[in-house]
Amino acid sequence: MSRLAFQERMLWAQLVAILAVGVYYVHFLVHAGPGHHYFHAVILGVLLVFGSISFAARRRAGNVDERDRSIAAIGARWSNIILWVGLVLILVLYWDHGSIHSAHLVIGLIFHLLLLAGIARIVRELVAYRINA
Amino acid sequence: MTSPIRNTIRELRAARSMTQQALADLIHVTRQTVIAIEGDKYSPSLEVAFRIAHVFDLPLEQIFQYEPPRSRRK
Repeated sequence: MSRLAFQERMLWAQLVAILAVGVYYVHFLVHAGPGHHYFHAVILGVLLVFGSISFAARRRAGNVDERDRSIAAIGARWSNIILWVGLVLILVLYWDHGSIHSAHLVIGLIFHLLLLAGIARIVRELVAYRINA
Repeated sequence: MTSPIRNTIRELRAARSMTQQALADLIHVTRQTVIAIEGDKYSPSLEVAFRIAHVFDLPLEQIFQYEPPRSRRK
């Protein structure tokens, strides 16, 4: 069995980070009182910044080859499917029950969707790395 | 999952006392990709295959052999 490659270590770090955000989020929801819905926006911002930094670090590392790119494409495909299905579901939901009150619900759903898509991408890439190890 | 493309890279590399990292550097991929190619777990692109052939100074068909998967229907 080969040692973990740089890309795999990056993926594990991303998975740990995304799960940590998820756990912190659940902890926040349990302990926070009403009127703290802006937290979603903060978390979304943090996730976007983290995603941008990790992507830039990945590219700057310079050791991304054709196999890494093909595995990244597999992960992106899974992530995209989840995002599109989730987006359609959210639109249908909002279309049926759309109101200012349900805007918080939509933001929450988008947050969960991003979290789920991110986890699915990372897990699929890790599996692909292990299959092709 | 294994690739239907077999190769003799490991033997060729051993004959030249070349490390996986040295070959990886020459063909511009990571060592993990060389490991995957040698283990028939990953089929390289045509460009990388030609680079490998160039490194070993051999024709492509002496390094890579295609073994079509056996059909279950008869």
